[in-house]
Amino acid sequence: MKKLNSRTTTGVAALSIAVLALSACGPDTSGDEQEAGEGVDWAEVEPAEEIVFWSNHPGGSVDQEEELIAAFEEESGISVTLENSGATYEETSQGFQTSQGTGATPDVVVLSDATWFPNYLNDSLLAVDEVLEAAEVDTDGYVEALYEDYVYEDSHYGVPYARSTPLFYYNADHYEEAGIESAPETWEEVAEVSQQLVEAETANSAFSFPPQEEYPAWWMQNLIWGYGGSWSDEWDFAPVSSDETVEALEFAQDATDDWASVSSGDPADDFGSGATSQIVQSTGSLGGILDTADFEVGVAFLPGGPEAEGETPTGGAGLMISANSEPEEQLAAAMFIGFMTNTENTAFFSENTGYMPVQQDADMSAVYEETPQFQVAVEQLERARSQDNARVFLPGGDLELSQTLQSILTNDVDVAEEMESVQSSLEDLYERDLASELE
Amino acid sequence: MSSAVQTEQERTRARAHRRRQSKNWSLFLLFAGPNILLILAFIYYPLFSNMYYSTLDWRLGSSSATQIGLENYVAFFTSDSGLEVWRVTGIFTAGAVLGSMILGLLIALVLNKKIPGKTAARTAVFSPYVLSGVGVAMVWNFIFDPTRGGLSHILGFFGVSSPEWYLNEDWSLFMVIIVYVWKNLGYCAVVFLAGLQSIPKDLIEAATIDRAGPIRRFVSVTLPLLTPTVFFLLVTNILFSMTNAFDILRTMTPTGHGTNTIIFEIYLQSFGAYQRAGYSAAIAVVLFFTLFFITAVQLRFVERKVHYS
Repeated sequence: MKKLNSRTTTGVAALSIAVLALSACGPDTSGDEQEAGEGVDWAEVEPAEEIVFWSNHPGGSVDQEEELIAAFEEESGISVTLENSGATYEETSQGFQTSQGTGATPDVVVLSDATWFPNYLNDSLLAVDEVLEAAEVDTDGYVEALYEDYVYEDSHYGVPYARSTPLFYYNADHYEEAGIESAPETWEEVAEVSQQLVEAETANSAFSFPPQEEYPAWWMQNLIWGYGGSWSDEWDFAPVSSDETVEALEFAQDATDDWASVSSGDPADDFGSGATSQIVQSTGSLGGILDTADFEVGVAFLPGGPEAEGETPTGGAGLMISANSEPEEQLAAAMFIGFMTNTENTAFFSENTGYMPVQQDADMSAVYEETPQFQVAVEQLERARSQDNARVFLPGGDLELSQTLQSILTNDVDVAEEMESVQSSLEDLYERDLASELE
Repeated sequence: MSSAVQTEQERTRARAHRRRQSKNWSLFLLFAGPNILLILAFIYYPLFSNMYYSTLDWRLGSSSATQIGLENYVAFFTSDSGLEVWRVTGIFTAGAVLGSMILGLLIALVLNKKIPGKTAARTAVFSPYVLSGVGVAMVWNFIFDPTRGGLSHILGFFGVSSPEWYLNEDWSLFMVIIVYVWKNLGYCAVVFLAGLQSIPKDLIEAATIDRAGPIRRFVSVTLPLLTPTVFFLLVTNILFSMTNAFDILRTMTPTGHGTNTIIFEIYLQSFGAYQRAGYSAAIAVVLFFTLFFITAVQLRFVERKVHYS
């Protein structure tokens, strides 16, 4: 009995130590509110001499980033270490999330429209308004629609950097062959010119929708906004199954039975190879398409619908500052992101990558002269509209919408039933993963 | 007197025994200690940490979480998406294991014959197994591309249009099974070949003398004597197909289009769109016990049916 007690005691002790060891390295489960950091008096802070910048080099921009960093180091005397954070925005965000609490967190990170919000919820991002002011960064010059994408509860959590919008691309040679004189301005006109293209047999497909891996829920917001629908209204997901949204998606489903198809991979590849005559694709793809296409590439504003005139969802990535860095590093980081996105440097970055200039006064005249299509993309910013919460703020929301869109576009399913089902999924995701944190 | 001498001798023996034991323990710790520490640090600590995380409602990267007991497990076993994961895992495992083993056996039977270029053929058959899964998947992506892929051109030559490999969930699952089988069958073929070559030739010759045809010889002599190999491959292939297919699945269907096997679901739930680290940890624990259970059942029951000689 004595021996048994001894073993039991040893076992309980070992188990207790194991539980303590496991819980010590995991997240805090005490339920206590984290102590909010005391307000920093930025006037008392001196910028750090060295900061770390994580980037996936959007649009293959590693050379441009290194050039801009060299210029910043020369101007400020602050050393910036550029580290490769992965191949995509998603990998960058995964790396940033898993680096929390390890001491290997960067001071500045590139996060996309759909990946910054979970990091905000994790308290990993610094609200930048005060520190940008301390670093004397003029935020009034940013394109308002792009800067406002980073607002939550009256604070900004980043500045626009590699920003893009969808753009309507068409094969001008195919248009000429089919006797089409100008680009369509509405989705009804898209249907009409597509019928002409089909009759002229210019390509395998007159228009291509993207598959679920190519973010269909991003640009198809333009289509549903055009019909008066949306993916959500703030945190109300009823609009995703509204009559207006269903009508827009029935239009798309009918199109795939008639004059459109769904690409198996990147629609830009199908367009560049001449396999499809029209697509909607990111402005960031413009350079690549112009390089590969052996035909005249035409671009136009996104088409409008019965209820709206071609509203354009914004996209791409911004620069964020880590909440876990020291104030000195945060101040240096603010100086750095201000430099990377100032009027002169955003023009340089846009010219070399195809992303939108994020400053209203950026001088793009040289680019417009060489690539007139780019001017159309920039002018379209007048119609820019921030994306619906269901796609960009709800973890898993974009994937649920993308899977549903692919199902609608490739199968003869009832659109209203599919959208009611996805509404239910979005509501479940919100209730399970977000509601308690936002209340 | 004799009693005192005896007691002294016993004490001496006990001291010697303790010294030997102490020496043995020191040697044991010297040689096994570093390995035990590594196993504890890199296998058991993560394993038990993961079990602890599986009881949390925890977003990836968040510094705080909520204890929710077994709710993640309940959600996985009762949700539609959880049931879909089991369905896909079952189909993928059955297709991958049966495909690899049947084709591997057929290839082994051919390679066991006296044919010219046998060594080169064996090398060619085995080489896909040692290639990177990501590289293999990228090459097959080019082959399966319905617009520009090699397969669509071959099918087009016969007047058949390419299936929607990437847009239709059923075809997507079939596609990744084909690629996994292609990569894995070389391993099965080589192991089967070793099994075939270990079968005593006199048994085959005796069956031939008794006028048994090739099929009868295979069914009545070769196959029963191959059962240890079949058993070994069955166990390893089931375990491999449930854990090693991730690279192919992730590369060919990045967001899991009808290809959410349990190992892929673990990734998608945590590092993919949903960011649910706690839920993902629960699925990982389920996978661990599933593999543990499958192995235990196979060792307990299937091994009895095996003919080792």
